[in-house]
Amino acid sequence: MKFATIAVLLSLLLLPWLLPAYGVQVAIQALVLAGFAVSFNFLFQNVGLLSFGHAAFFGAGAYTAALLMSKRDWSYLAALPVALAATALVALVIGFLSVRLTKIYFTMLTLAFAQMLWAVVHRWYNFTGGDNGITNVRPAGLLGTAHGLYYLSLACVVLVILLLRVVSRSPAGYTLRAIRDNPVRLAAIGVSTFEHVLAAFVLSGTLSGLFGFLQLAWQRSAFPDLLYWTTSAQVIIAVILGGSGFAKWDYGPVAGAAVLVSAQAVVQSHTQYWPLALGLILLALVLFFPAGVAGLFSRAHRRREHEDELDHAAA
Amino acid sequence: MTPSLFLLEFMTGLASASSLFLLAAGLSLIFGALGVVNFAHGSFYMLGAYLLFWLTRGDAAGFWHYLLVAAAASVVIGAAVERIILRPVLRRPEHFQILLTYALLLVIADVCRLAFGSDYKSISMPPGFTGPVFLLGSAFPAYYAGLVGLAGAAAALLWLFLHRTRFGLLVRAVTQDREMLETLGVNVPAVFTVVFALGIGLAGFGGAVSLPLQSMSTDVAVDAVISAFIVVVVGGLGSIWGALAGAFLIGEVQAFGALWLPEFSIVFVYLLMALVLLFRPWGLLGRAPAVRT
Repeated sequence: MKFATIAVLLSLLLLPWLLPAYGVQVAIQALVLAGFAVSFNFLFQNVGLLSFGHAAFFGAGAYTAALLMSKRDWSYLAALPVALAATALVALVIGFLSVRLTKIYFTMLTLAFAQMLWAVVHRWYNFTGGDNGITNVRPAGLLGTAHGLYYLSLACVVLVILLLRVVSRSPAGYTLRAIRDNPVRLAAIGVSTFEHVLAAFVLSGTLSGLFGFLQLAWQRSAFPDLLYWTTSAQVIIAVILGGSGFAKWDYGPVAGAAVLVSAQAVVQSHTQYWPLALGLILLALVLFFPAGVAGLFSRAHRRREHEDELDHAAA
Repeated sequence: MTPSLFLLEFMTGLASASSLFLLAAGLSLIFGALGVVNFAHGSFYMLGAYLLFWLTRGDAAGFWHYLLVAAAASVVIGAAVERIILRPVLRRPEHFQILLTYALLLVIADVCRLAFGSDYKSISMPPGFTGPVFLLGSAFPAYYAGLVGLAGAAAALLWLFLHRTRFGLLVRAVTQDREMLETLGVNVPAVFTVVFALGIGLAGFGGAVSLPLQSMSTDVAVDAVISAFIVVVVGGLGSIWGALAGAFLIGEVQAFGALWLPEFSIVFVYLLMALVLLFRPWGLLGRAPAVRT
C-alpha cells in the first residue's frame, strides 16, 4: 500500500507535464472536488451526519477571497487566512445550531442554512454582485498559471488528507466514532458530545472553505451557484460514487471526484447534455453496480481497514 | 397597509400556496409511505407543466381537458418509474435512493431541454378565468381563485381517499408499520406503486395548473424540489394537514416578505424553515417521535 501511495503521488506530480492545457484544467477541478469531498466525508463517516449544506462553506471560502480581492485589492494568498477564518465562523454558527439534531432533521437544517446564505448572496447586489457574481479575480504570479494552481491544489489535498487522518486516528477521532455509534452512552460516561461533534463540523466546514478558495482561482470568478444546494449534492454524489462506507473514507471520495470530473470532461467534449449522461450513468450504477466505483475494490479495502483498526487498538 | 393591498398580497400568497401544496403533498406522502426522499419531485412538477404546454401547443383554449390528460399522464409515468426504476432500490440503504432520484432529476431536466428547448414556456389564463376579479377595491387575476379552488378540491379528495376508503387506510397503515401489513397479507408493493403514482400525479397536476401563473424552464425543477422540502419540513413530514399548513405559511411569508423587503423575501422562507427545525424538528403539525432522535 505504501508503495502504491508513493507511485500515485509521483504520477500526480508528473501529471501536468503529460497533459494538454485543457487536461490540466480538468485535473485541477478534480483535485478541488476531491479535497472538498474528503472534507465533507470526514463528518459523514466519522460522525454519521449527512450535511446537505456544505455548499455554504465552499461558497464562503470562495466569496470571502473574491470580495477581498475585488473590493480591497488584496492578493490571493493574503486573502487565504481571512477566507478560512470567515468560513470557520460560518461553520461555527451553522454547526452550533445544527449539530443538536441528527438524521434527516440535521440534513434539512444544514440545507436551510446553506440556502439562506445562498439567497442573501444571490440577492444582495450592492455587496456580492448578486447573480452577476464577482468576475475577473485572478491570482497574480505563479498561482495565476495552470501549473501553479495545480500544485497548490495537490498540496492542499494531500495536506488535508494527512491532517484528517491524524485527527481521525487520535483519541478525539475514536471519540467521534463512538458518539456516532452510541451517543447516549458517551454522554452518560461524561464525554462532552456536543463540543466534539461541533468541533468536527467546524473542521469539516473550514476545510471545505479551503477548496472553495481554490475553486475561486480555478474559475476566476465567484457566482451564487457555488452556494446553491446542487453544489452540496455534487459533493455527496462524488462521495457516494466513490463508495462511501465501502472504501476508506479518504480514498473513496478522491476516486469518486476524479471519476466524476473526468467523465464530465470526456462527455462534454462530445455533447452539451452532460447532466443527461451523468443521470444515465448514475441510474446504471445504482441499478446494476450497486457497490459503486470503488466497490470493485471494496472487499480488499474493508479487510485492510479492519486490520488497521485492530492494529491501532493493539498499539 | 391598506386593506386592498393586504388582500392582494394575501391572494397572491394563497395562489402560490396552492401550487406549493400540490407539489409538496406528494413528496410528503411518498416519504411517509416509502421512506424515499424524492429529489426528482420538482422534476415531475416541471414535467407536468411541459406536458400541458405540449398538449395545448401553448394555446389556452384547450387548457381544461388537456389538464386532465397531463395529470393522468403524470400518474402513469409515476407508476412506471416506481415499478421499473425505484422498486429495485427500495430495500437498499438510503443513499442509493438519493443517488437514484438525483439521477432522475438530471435525466428529466435534460430530456425536457432536448424536447422543449431551454427558453421559458408560458400559457395565457385558461378559459373562464381570463379577466381580473375586483374585491374590496383591489384587482387580482381570476385564476388565483381558480387555482385555490383546484388545490382545495385536490386536498379534499386526498383527505377523503386517505381517511374514507379502504385503500387509503392501507396507505396510512404502511406509513406506520410496513412489516405488520405484509404479515397480514397486504400486497405492500402494490400500495407503494399507488402512493408513488398518486404523489407524482399530484406534482404533475400542480405543475400544469401553475403554468398560467409561472413560466416554465428547465431550471424550475431544482427550485421546486427545494420549495417542496421546505413546505414538508415546516408542516411536518408525512402529514397532509402539515403539507397544507406548510404551503399556506410559506406562500404567505413569501408574499408579505416581498412587500417588506422585496429582494430578500426568499430569505424569510429559509429562516422560517430553520426556526421550525430548531424548535420543532418534526414540523408544526408532525408527530413528535416517541424516542427523541
